[in-house]
Amino acid sequence: MADLIQNLIDALALGSLYALIALGITLVYTVMGMMNFAHGEFIMLAAYALYVFAGLPFAAAVPVALLTGVLIAVLVERVAFRPVRSADLSAQLVTSLAVATILQNTVSVAVNARAQSVRTPAAISESTTLGSVSVPNLEFVTVGLTAIVLGGLGWLLYRTRTGLAMRAAAEDFEMARLLGVRADRVIAIAFAISGALAAAVGVLIVLQTGQVSPTMGLTPVLIGFVAVVIGGFGRMVGAVAGGLLLGALSSLLGVYLPDGLVPFRDAIVFTFPVLILIFRPHGLLGGEIGRARV
Amino acid sequence: MSGVRFRSRASLAASLLVPLALIAIVVGVGAGGTTSFQGTVTLILCNLVIVLGLQVFVGNSGVYSFGQLGFATAGAYVAAFLTLPAAFALLQTPGLPHFIADADLGPLVSTLIAAAASGLLALVVGLPLMRTSTLAIPISTFAFLLVVYNVVANWDRVTGGSGGLVSIPATTSVESAGIWAGAAVLLALAFKWSASGYRLQATREDEVAARSLGINVMRERLIAFAISGVLCGAGGALAVHQSSVLNPTTFYFAATVTTMTMLVIGGARSVFGAVIGAIAIGMVNEVLRGVENGANLLGVISIGAAPGLAAIGLGLILLATMVAMPSGLTGGQEAGELRWICRLRPAKPTTSPSTRGVLADRVPVERSAEGALRAAGISLAFSGLHVLRGIDLDLHPGEALGLVGPNGAGKTTLVNVLSGFQRPDAGAVVLDGADVTGRSPARLARHGLARTFQAALPFPQLSCLESVAVGAMAVGTGRRTAVAVATDVLDRLNLLGQARRPAGSLPPGSQRLLGVARALATRPRYLLLDEPAAGLNEVEREELIAILRKVLRDFGCGVLLIEHDMGMVMEFCPRVQVLDDGITLRTGTPEEVQADPAVIEAYLGSSYPTAVNA
Repeated sequence: MADLIQNLIDALALGSLYALIALGITLVYTVMGMMNFAHGEFIMLAAYALYVFAGLPFAAAVPVALLTGVLIAVLVERVAFRPVRSADLSAQLVTSLAVATILQNTVSVAVNARAQSVRTPAAISESTTLGSVSVPNLEFVTVGLTAIVLGGLGWLLYRTRTGLAMRAAAEDFEMARLLGVRADRVIAIAFAISGALAAAVGVLIVLQTGQVSPTMGLTPVLIGFVAVVIGGFGRMVGAVAGGLLLGALSSLLGVYLPDGLVPFRDAIVFTFPVLILIFRPHGLLGGEIGRARV
Repeated sequence: MSGVRFRSRASLAASLLVPLALIAIVVGVGAGGTTSFQGTVTLILCNLVIVLGLQVFVGNSGVYSFGQLGFATAGAYVAAFLTLPAAFALLQTPGLPHFIADADLGPLVSTLIAAAASGLLALVVGLPLMRTSTLAIPISTFAFLLVVYNVVANWDRVTGGSGGLVSIPATTSVESAGIWAGAAVLLALAFKWSASGYRLQATREDEVAARSLGINVMRERLIAFAISGVLCGAGGALAVHQSSVLNPTTFYFAATVTTMTMLVIGGARSVFGAVIGAIAIGMVNEVLRGVENGANLLGVISIGAAPGLAAIGLGLILLATMVAMPSGLTGGQEAGELRWICRLRPAKPTTSPSTRGVLADRVPVERSAEGALRAAGISLAFSGLHVLRGIDLDLHPGEALGLVGPNGAGKTTLVNVLSGFQRPDAGAVVLDGADVTGRSPARLARHGLARTFQAALPFPQLSCLESVAVGAMAVGTGRRTAVAVATDVLDRLNLLGQARRPAGSLPPGSQRLLGVARALATRPRYLLLDEPAAGLNEVEREELIAILRKVLRDFGCGVLLIEHDMGMVMEFCPRVQVLDDGITLRTGTPEEVQADPAVIEAYLGSSYPTAVNA
């Protein structure tokens, strides 16, 4: 019983992390219709901020990492993505792939292609014992942070003028524009928030693994993409659900898979969404994509 | 055959020969070089085979796949298993079945088997993946790439794990790679210009219009995906027999970016573009790698070794292409379609396709007065808003029925239901006696129901002749007959003079007419026209009416004409059905309808006199 609870808490924590990734990707997708492959590099660069500012106390380095994520996201949008804003989805995806390659290898050249270790506060790697269940402190942080982010995003989107503009842009970008929503501003804000979310994920991953590497963003961004796809494109709730589902699946497979198959966990996790898509081609919560424009 | 073809003989020859000549030059230059230079050139040619594989799927479907390198991986491992000398195989891949490990096949047979195996894998993987949406395919194919990597890197007993395999016989020479590349060019072009290739290109140009013509999007994508798998597998097999080492990252993320860059910079729609891109980026990559390993630029600036520099360069090239030149160096044209290449040969007076001889080849139009398109009790509501409330409709072959009603009456929604784009909440659509409610638009089109849209939805990159021929090919007509059908239809609609112009370059009125021609090429028994006159001027409208009369007479299909402009309907249709607010107000002759007080009140209202006189 205790094992089960323990496993479920682990699953929730990993799912929360994945949900944060998926949220950052969805946010940009809703306002711009773009699946941003470089989101993984936003995560990676924010994590590298922790490595570069290792001299600072960790608590002081975290805001620096967040700021890095925001700045990079806004900068990339301005320089690389704005010119292809009206291009089709595939072209935008390839553009973001190019940006990802550039950022990733720039870090390889500037720092090192190999992984670097980052010192993390000891308190975070300790566990808290609740009855017979021992929960790593990091899992509290992850789940708590996700809850705060979800609440904050909900407040922003549904209680503020900016949020209203973003939702309007998500519904019908051209119409919103005609009605006076400032497209550049809305998209920049979406990227800023997306960058902050990526940075949060970067910090959490560093806390978990204690290291950074130029390719550390690749798997997270793919997980985020897949979560977005199975959640139904462009839906915040779907992204969160998709992230939680993938995280839970991955975490539980790690525990319950026979030993011989454990190395193939990622393969199974990434095959699973395809099975969902066979029966629900537009994701679990059915997006609007692909509906005939007649 | 008639004198009208998709392209002139000279253009065809240039499209085939220019890329082959380019490959021959590369082979010639490579074969004369040092051993290491030969290796470099061979790898570029192997990459070209993979890029052509990418082109077959991405170029023709317009959907990006990031998983094709997974098929290169599969092909490479299969080829390695089949050629590793038994002693090495035993050491490196103890888990492999003996008959494979002991197999010691030659380069040609092993490459062919590897290509076939990859094609089969692509078919199996594509079966579920191609069902997903246009946006989900790039992502799910990327997931596939990751799955392949994960399996190959961890299946130690069979694949050698992350360490990979070594001592694979190096049998690929510059010449053999060149021959494979040439064959791949021919295969890619043959597919592009096959009926299946054209159907797939139509889905790239406009998915909705393609479906309305009878094209099964999933099926066409799957065919290209499998062919792409064959080529990528062959490329992988060839490459591994050049480098003689293989590990899970050989064809992974970096290779995906490299091959994608090669495809995009040349122009993804073009096979010629793939050749140019692979060769150009292959050379640039070589230079960048030289710099990466530490170089002396002009003897002034010396740069230390910096791994990653080459990838940054490629990323910048890819980014610049996407921003400044999304159609690539070739603009998506084949060699024979490029103006500057056409100028190289002596100018001949271009004759517009003559209509003489065409008439003799007319494909007989089957007339059948049997059957009918029937709708019975169609109801449909969008989140509580009742758009259609129990509509009945009858359309017979050879008849023109006008469907009129004010904006929002439900006319277009009814057409969407009839043509399978929308499933009704209640009621049935019956096509020649068979209940077809809820069938896909493509299936209905293949059963003789065609439609047009309020927007023209052209296939901009296809020529007019190709656009219309696609309509015929969409319902299973062979390529040759399709050209004859398209020529005939274009001729009847006075569009034959534009046959080789890109559909996207026509004026809006002609584009709309081309939409009608496209639908007619499916040889429908029932043709649903959704406001074909919208945006036409008075002259064009008269012309359209004349053409529709001809369609009715020549093709014998039943025409449902949707208009909110009463005048045109009154002129063309002996029978008119009036919709208002989701119900049928009245069906009758134009005179009866005009005299009906309910129609006058609900639809014509105070503008009645102007509407009649218009």
